[in-house]
Amino acid sequence: MSTDCKGAPSTNYTLQELLVAAAAREIKDNEVVFVGVGIPCLGAFVAKFTHAPNVVLVVESGCIGSMPYRLMLGIGDNACNENAIAATSLWRAFSDQQRGYFDLGMLGGAQVDKYGNLNSTAIFGKGDYKHPVTRLPGSGGANDIASSAKRTLLMMNQQKRRFLDKVDYITSPGYLDGPGAREKYGYTGNGPSVIISNMAIFRFDEMTKEAYLDSVHPGVTVDDVKKEVSWDLKVSPNVKVTPPPTEEEVEIIHILDEKKIYTGKGLKELTFESYIGMLEKSYTTLKSMFPA
Amino acid sequence: MDGIDSKKLLDKRISLKDAIAKFVFNGCSIAFSGMGGEQVVAPTYEIIRQGQKDLTLIGDSPCEPADFLIGTGQIKRMEVAWAAFAVAGVSQNYRNAVEKGIPHEIEVCEFSNYTMGLRFLAGSLGIPFMATKSLMGSSLEKYNDWIKVIDDPYKKKEGKIALVPAANPDVAIIHANQADKLGNTQFLGFSSNAENIARSAKRVIVTCEEIVSTNTIRKNSALTAIPQYVVDAVVELPYGSHPWNMPFTYAYDLPFHMEMIAQIETVDGFKKWIDKWAYGCKDHADYCEKVGWQRLHKLSSVEKQFYK
Repeated sequence: MSTDCKGAPSTNYTLQELLVAAAAREIKDNEVVFVGVGIPCLGAFVAKFTHAPNVVLVVESGCIGSMPYRLMLGIGDNACNENAIAATSLWRAFSDQQRGYFDLGMLGGAQVDKYGNLNSTAIFGKGDYKHPVTRLPGSGGANDIASSAKRTLLMMNQQKRRFLDKVDYITSPGYLDGPGAREKYGYTGNGPSVIISNMAIFRFDEMTKEAYLDSVHPGVTVDDVKKEVSWDLKVSPNVKVTPPPTEEEVEIIHILDEKKIYTGKGLKELTFESYIGMLEKSYTTLKSMFPA
Repeated sequence: MDGIDSKKLLDKRISLKDAIAKFVFNGCSIAFSGMGGEQVVAPTYEIIRQGQKDLTLIGDSPCEPADFLIGTGQIKRMEVAWAAFAVAGVSQNYRNAVEKGIPHEIEVCEFSNYTMGLRFLAGSLGIPFMATKSLMGSSLEKYNDWIKVIDDPYKKKEGKIALVPAANPDVAIIHANQADKLGNTQFLGFSSNAENIARSAKRVIVTCEEIVSTNTIRKNSALTAIPQYVVDAVVELPYGSHPWNMPFTYAYDLPFHMEMIAQIETVDGFKKWIDKWAYGCKDHADYCEKVGWQRLHKLSSVEKQFYK
C-alpha cells in the first residue's frame, strides 16, 4: 500500500507530475531505496522532502545517502556523490542489496508481463535474441535489483504491445511463471509490489502473483486500461482513482526539475548557458530545503 | 613481462599515446572503469586514433568505450551488462551492430552490473568464479552458458545459487581523480568497479585528473583504491572523462552529450564526429582546445560551488 498523501490536492498538474507523486508515495520513511534516473528518482526526492525525510538513497556507482543540491542526471552523476554518507564501489553497494539491506528498488522496461517480469534487453519482433528487431541497452543493474531489493516499483508506458502475456526476454525477474517460482531460487528480494503506468497503478495478488488494476489516473476508465493490456486483466473490486499530487509535491517537482528534464521536453532545449544557470540556481534553492 | 617489470617502476609516468601503444594490442581483452560518470573517454579517442582491432570489451556499463569502438569496427566481442548513454540517449552503434551487422556483427555475452562486478572481484581474488543470487531464472541465465545455476553445496539454505566466471582482461584503463607517479590511485568520490577491474587485469593504465605527490597520497591513504604494485603506467589527463563528470572536479557536460547523441544517430554523422574529435585532434590537449578551455573551466568552477 502507498503512503497516504496529506495536503491540498493540486488542481494544476501534469501527468508526469502525477507519476512522480505516485512513485514518491511508494516510499516509507527510513527506508533504503536503490534509485535510477528519471521519474522514479524524482519521486524519491519528493518523498525525502515530504513524508520520508530519513530515506537513504543509493545509486549503482556506489554512492550511499546522497543529499544533492541539484537534480541527479545519472547514477554516477556528481550529484550522487554530493553530501553522501558513503562513497564506495559498485560491487559493494550491490552486495549490500544482496545481503538484504535495501527495501525498495526502482525499475523500468520496454515490456512487462502479468507476473511483473521485465524486458529491457531486446524486442525480438520476427527475429530472436541474437537478431532482434530492436536492441535495448540491457540489464545494467536491473536484474540485480529485481533479484535482491525487498520489493520493486516498476515504471511502464501503458501500451498493449508492452503489457504482454509473455515478454520476449526476462531481464529482471518478477514472479517468473507464478506462485512459488521465486521461492524455488531463494532470491533475497520478494518481487515487484507495484507497476505505475501513465494510465494506472497495478498491484500484485498475494495468492496468484498476478498484476491487477488497483487505480486509474484521473480521466482514465477501466476499459481504457484493459484495451492497453494483452492478458485478461483482473480489476480490484474497489478500484480507485489515483490521487492527484498535492500542491506541495508539485512545487517541489518544479524546484527539482526546473528545466523539465524529466517531466517535460527540457532535455532537448538545454544550452550550455541555461544548463550552467540551472546548476547555479539549484545550489542556492535546494541548500535551504535540506536540513542542516 | 618484457624485460623490466613495469609494475615495479618507480616512475610510471608516460604519455597517453605511448601507454595505449604499449599495452593495447590487436585481439586483446580490455576493460574500462567508470559508471554513469567517470567514464574513460580520452583514452577511447586515443584507441580510435591508433586503431587496435578485434578487441574484446569486458565491462559493466561502458558508454563511449562501447559505442565508439563498436562504431569504428574495433570491437569483436563484448562481455557487458549494458550499453547506452543513460539520460542523454541510446547507443546507436550498439543497435546498428546487433540489429543490422553495421559496421560488422559482434558477439555479445551478457551479465548484469553486479555480476560483472563479481567477475572482476573473482579475477582480483585469483579464484575462478564467484557466486551470486542474481541472474537465476532470468533470460540472462538462459542465453549465456557461462552462467551456471547450482544447488548450495553446503545445503545451508533452500534455493539455488548462480556462478559467474572470473574476468581477467589483458589490459584495464582506469580514470581516477589523482595518482602519484608510482601508480597509487585515489578516487575522491565513488569508485564503481575500478579497484577490482584494475586488480583483475594483467596490465593497468591509470589516467588521472592530476598527478600528486606520494606525500599527498600518504596523507589521505584511506582514499587509495589501487596500490602501486597493480599499476603499469600513469598518465596525467585533465578532463579525461569529458563530457562526463568527475566528482569534486568538474560537472557533467550534458549539453555537449546531447549534441553528440544527435549527431552520432546516423552512420554518417558518427563518422563526422569521429573525424572531428578523434582523428581531427592530435592528442587530448588538442581535444580540450577544441571543446574550449573556457567551457571546461566553467564546468570545474560550477562543480566547486557545491562544496563551498
